[in-house]
Amino acid sequence: MAGTASGGSRRSRLAPYLLVAPGILWLLVFFVAPTITLAQTSVSGAGPWYEAYGRALGNYGVHFFRSLRYALGATLLALAMGYPLAYFIAFRAGRLKNLLLGLVVLPFFTTFLVRTFAWKTILNDGGPAVWLLQQLHILDPGGRLLDTTIAVVGGLTYNFLPFMILPIYVSLEKIDRRLVEAAEDLYSTPLEAFRKVVLPLSLPGVFAGSLLTFIPATGDFINAQLLGSPNQQMIGTVIQNQFLEVRDYPLAASLSFVLMAVITLGVLAYARVLGTEELA
Amino acid sequence: MSRRQSDPRDDELHALLRQAINRRGFIRRTALGAGGLVLGNSLLAACGGGKEGAAAGGGDSAAAAAGGGGKTLRISNWPLYIDKQTVPDFEKATGIKTEYTEDINDNSEFFAKIDEPLKRNQSIDREIIVLTDWMAGRLIKLGYVAPLDDAKFPNKANLVDNVKDVSFDPGRKFSVPWLSGMTGIGYNPKKTGRELTSINDIFDPKFKGQVTMLTEMRDTIGLVMLGLGKDPTKATVADAKAAAAKIKKARESGQIRKFTGNDYAEDLAAGNIAVALAWSGDIQGLAADNPNLRWIAPKEGAMLYSDNMMIPKTDDRQDLAMAWINYVYDPKHSAQIVAGAPYLSAVKGAGAELAKIAPDLASSSLVNPPDDLRARLHVFKALSDAEDTEFNRIFQDAIGA
Repeated sequence: MAGTASGGSRRSRLAPYLLVAPGILWLLVFFVAPTITLAQTSVSGAGPWYEAYGRALGNYGVHFFRSLRYALGATLLALAMGYPLAYFIAFRAGRLKNLLLGLVVLPFFTTFLVRTFAWKTILNDGGPAVWLLQQLHILDPGGRLLDTTIAVVGGLTYNFLPFMILPIYVSLEKIDRRLVEAAEDLYSTPLEAFRKVVLPLSLPGVFAGSLLTFIPATGDFINAQLLGSPNQQMIGTVIQNQFLEVRDYPLAASLSFVLMAVITLGVLAYARVLGTEELA
Repeated sequence: MSRRQSDPRDDELHALLRQAINRRGFIRRTALGAGGLVLGNSLLAACGGGKEGAAAGGGDSAAAAAGGGGKTLRISNWPLYIDKQTVPDFEKATGIKTEYTEDINDNSEFFAKIDEPLKRNQSIDREIIVLTDWMAGRLIKLGYVAPLDDAKFPNKANLVDNVKDVSFDPGRKFSVPWLSGMTGIGYNPKKTGRELTSINDIFDPKFKGQVTMLTEMRDTIGLVMLGLGKDPTKATVADAKAAAAKIKKARESGQIRKFTGNDYAEDLAAGNIAVALAWSGDIQGLAADNPNLRWIAPKEGAMLYSDNMMIPKTDDRQDLAMAWINYVYDPKHSAQIVAGAPYLSAVKGAGAELAKIAPDLASSSLVNPPDDLRARLHVFKALSDAEDTEFNRIFQDAIGA
């Protein structure tokens, strides 16, 4: 797959730029331009330019921390469930592989909103989930699932689980099976072979999967709104309300920027810890 | 039209209502919550002009030739806010092909959708939109709506006197009410274990975690203000803050399970909650499936709102729109609408017509509030833009969003 583009004709030097042009154009129009507008909005309020940022940081710390906590919880849960499943599909599923992958993607055939609504029904006070947990004495007789932290984190996990499974599956799938055989030939136990060969080679997938889960989960506003009580609202809901209900655009815009900054810092720290330079 | 039922909790009245009212669905306001539609809305807004209108316009040419000059009349209204017969009847009577869409779920959300195109003088591909008083006031002030052509609106004479002159539209030059409704308390006596009479009953610690309030600021703040003995028609920032503090405390203590759009109806029906701030017509609809549910106008008072028909200024089919508005201001036609959507009509004589087709419903206090109930109904103060932002900020802080 090595590049042979060093030939030097004018066209082949231009080719890479032509290839990225549509993507760059798209980003300019739909990311860079809106971001600049948003930045202008965030400093356009009455008073000094940082006024809205002051309010964003001063009044909504609770919501930021809550969002990060919930998103982290959902990411860890999705990893705990997604990794074994991806492993099974990649190594053990045999002919069922495509079917299982199809099932993972299947929920996307219905909209996000409808799927989350379904959880409202499932978690109802009079519904089967509450009944079962009460019979098992896990939940108090007067207890509930809907409109609790458990429901919100559960909803986030459910909705973003496929984004965890698919990248992990891809990185597991491309592992050369002979490496595992080699490890076993060299007297490693299956567990050691997994720990020393498979797991490190699948880390890029884990990294990508966690980001694909964590980032949208942090900014999500549907799950908290439908499955949480007012004491579980996340920063996404606040931004949405400030934009649409209060119409305090500077505050909403600055909240968005703070959120972006927080997520970027988190991701950089995570990348550093995981040290996966091949992702760059 | 007996005035006998002075008490809306009267069992007999409720029995009558159950018989009178057809089974209706739950969702009038947004079941999706304010958030649900944002994605869709912003996409729609991004599309600006939109193709749906063009596609619809090329519809049944035979019918269109009869009236409307081949154009389709496009109406946007709230869900479950009309009977099934009126649109086909109107099409038959006028020959105007009509596309009636229930795509307004929330005033603020709908505003977000139409604000940009109207600001740029672009069409929003609708001839009629129906929005609540305060939002109607905002649109009129922004110059987004066209004046009603009184020459094509002889039935304007049927507009009831008490809404002829409203602060946001003196003389009703730009808007006329579609229907009006009341915001009070809906509850399930089985879960509360007692009848409720007061707004402050929602703060009873016995109902902890089983109470919902509305995300519509004027409804929730207004009712809580009434409970505090303040008058929402003269709401001040201090009043709003007092009400908000009470709401915030209840929210933080876990008393309030949720702030909802219309989705309180599902929670009430499913038994997840015992008490909800609720719109009058909704509970009637639910009563068909859940005969236990009650709606009351609390003794301290209830909120009254109207949803108003308006024509966007960029619309090029205003004649069709006027034909519709004039049609529904016929008392007979208005009565038919109310028979399917039990709210208050603003058309003179609609009550008498309703008595002919649905006598039980016509005497219900929800469609025809008795005088003592009317005296307790309040319309929230018309807020300036600055006040609106201030009140909303206070409210959003109280509800934790």
